[in-house]
Amino acid sequence: MSTLILMSLLNGLTLGALLFITASGLTLSFSLMRVVNLTHGAFYMAGGFIGLSVLKFSGSWLLAVLAGGVVTAALAFIEERFLLRWARGNDLIETLISLSVAIIVGDLVLVIWGGYPRTISIPEALSGAVSIPLIDTIYPVYRIFTVGLALVIIGALWVFLKKTRLGVTIRAGVDNFEMVSALGINVKRLFSFVFTLSGFLAGVSGVVGGTFLVLVVGEDWRILTLTLIVIIIGGMGSLGGTILGALITGLIHSFSTAFIPQFSLFVLFLPVAIVLSIRPRGLFGKER
Amino acid sequence: MTKERGYRFRRALLSALVGGIIIAIPWISSQYFVMMSVRVMFFGMLTMSLTFLAGELGAVSLMQASFFGISGYTVALLESRYGFPFPIPPLAGLVIAVLAAGLFGLLVVRVRGIYFLMLTLVLGQLVWALACQWSSITKGDTGITNIYAPTVFGISTEKSKTAFYFFQLIFFCGAMSFLAALKRSPFGLMLRGVRDSESRMAMLGFRVHLLRYAAFVFASLVAALGGVFFTYFTGLINPNTVSLPSNVEALLAGILGGINSLLGAVVGTAILKTLDVVLSGITERYMLIMGVLFMLVILFARQGIVGTLMKYWNNRLFPSRSREPERRPGGFSKKPDVVRNP
Repeated sequence: MSTLILMSLLNGLTLGALLFITASGLTLSFSLMRVVNLTHGAFYMAGGFIGLSVLKFSGSWLLAVLAGGVVTAALAFIEERFLLRWARGNDLIETLISLSVAIIVGDLVLVIWGGYPRTISIPEALSGAVSIPLIDTIYPVYRIFTVGLALVIIGALWVFLKKTRLGVTIRAGVDNFEMVSALGINVKRLFSFVFTLSGFLAGVSGVVGGTFLVLVVGEDWRILTLTLIVIIIGGMGSLGGTILGALITGLIHSFSTAFIPQFSLFVLFLPVAIVLSIRPRGLFGKER
Repeated sequence: MTKERGYRFRRALLSALVGGIIIAIPWISSQYFVMMSVRVMFFGMLTMSLTFLAGELGAVSLMQASFFGISGYTVALLESRYGFPFPIPPLAGLVIAVLAAGLFGLLVVRVRGIYFLMLTLVLGQLVWALACQWSSITKGDTGITNIYAPTVFGISTEKSKTAFYFFQLIFFCGAMSFLAALKRSPFGLMLRGVRDSESRMAMLGFRVHLLRYAAFVFASLVAALGGVFFTYFTGLINPNTVSLPSNVEALLAGILGGINSLLGAVVGTAILKTLDVVLSGITERYMLIMGVLFMLVILFARQGIVGTLMKYWNNRLFPSRSREPERRPGGFSKKPDVVRNP
């Protein structure tokens, strides 16, 4: 195997890992609330820039990740509580409101941090490169860490959704919303919680992604597009579908960037077209 | 009967008056106003294409600017790089845009509601990425320049803005009549049937997928026509034309004017383009203001300006009309039949 193919494979895996972290939040809020949160990309970018500033002040990368996540979680909470709830029940209006918030947040980020491309510096402990055994290739530690982080988040989400009471309630809400509200569960609070969690994941992925990709104005829409492609391919509301969709999107994007850079994003049209022709609700999506 | 005649007379008088003013614009107003009118007309075609889909089909598309741009890019390429004579570039532009709409349409008719919005957003972004990255053809971020408007019947529309105005006015009125005729026709009625209850239309034996597909292609054709004039008038085209902000701007213009009437699309575009000119002199935060305006309109004024005026108009000026059964408005004001399970 040539080095280029091997590197593309590894880069695809790491991009897929990042896309999974981003998309997991979006698919969680979507499957429960039926709102495509178009603010997700803007939250990713805002989280990344907040992380950048926190890192500059405190010097701690871990703190930067937390700060990025917490601030975007707060933004998401405000958006859900004061804007989306206004139009509850009309999913199209809710989605359009999230689009307007995305434009506002995107421009505010431009005002605060400016239009120059920035990158968050890799923390000491994760810098450098190691040689991966078996395939004998040198690869950055940080990128391997990203895959590990994605695996941890997959595990955490799985335990949360399958084993905790709150998680079970959320899954029940995804499957049959009316029944859950009829059983006396406070659905408003549940929605707020899930949306906030989704914002938290977007912010965290912004800091994690901002450390190996570039943070620049316009990145919000690029990430949103990739995330939506992940969800279209994988299917809404399925953890397994999101993992598979993220891997497919990450790998195709990585290989096309290496071999046909002129069409690196447009090539993603193909998997979207193929999946939609065979299964309009995505590979793991449920027919409703 | 007399009331009905009075209504017809007043309507004819009003149409003649508006028509007269539109034709007189190049003589009674400044050059600047003529140029603004030209801009409103080509962007108006983009907005109309979007509001047609949103109003008649209940499908909010975030990729109509893609077809606007595809025809624009085709014109730009054939005109400035290969130097084809006049009627070929715009015709080729329309054909290629319709082919693209035919291709994307195969996918977008498979999904509805917010899935439609999401998918069109993604496809529109992919077209934008293509415009940015395929630089051997599109020249990347700088875009294609040096495009000159054609000479029609011996008059150069490049030199005379008045000539361009009339040249475009003919096609603009054509596009508007085309969409208005579609809305009035049985086809439009079938589309509204699909919008209100797709399953019932399917049960009645209508080929709902084909209807949605045709509506998408027709709407895209109008957007593509706008793109041709945009490219000729501005003389340049770059990825900004097909970017998400372009699409959002068209959507905002549509909602601002009111998505249930074609006139609303034009009024909304006119307001937004005027705002654009006013704001660009004062502030660089155009996107921020647009975002806030978008949010306010979505939250408080979903009927749009023309939608609100029409209600007043029908009740006060033409009382005879208010006895007609009220047409169910489409799109945003409609509550979904089943809220939770799409």
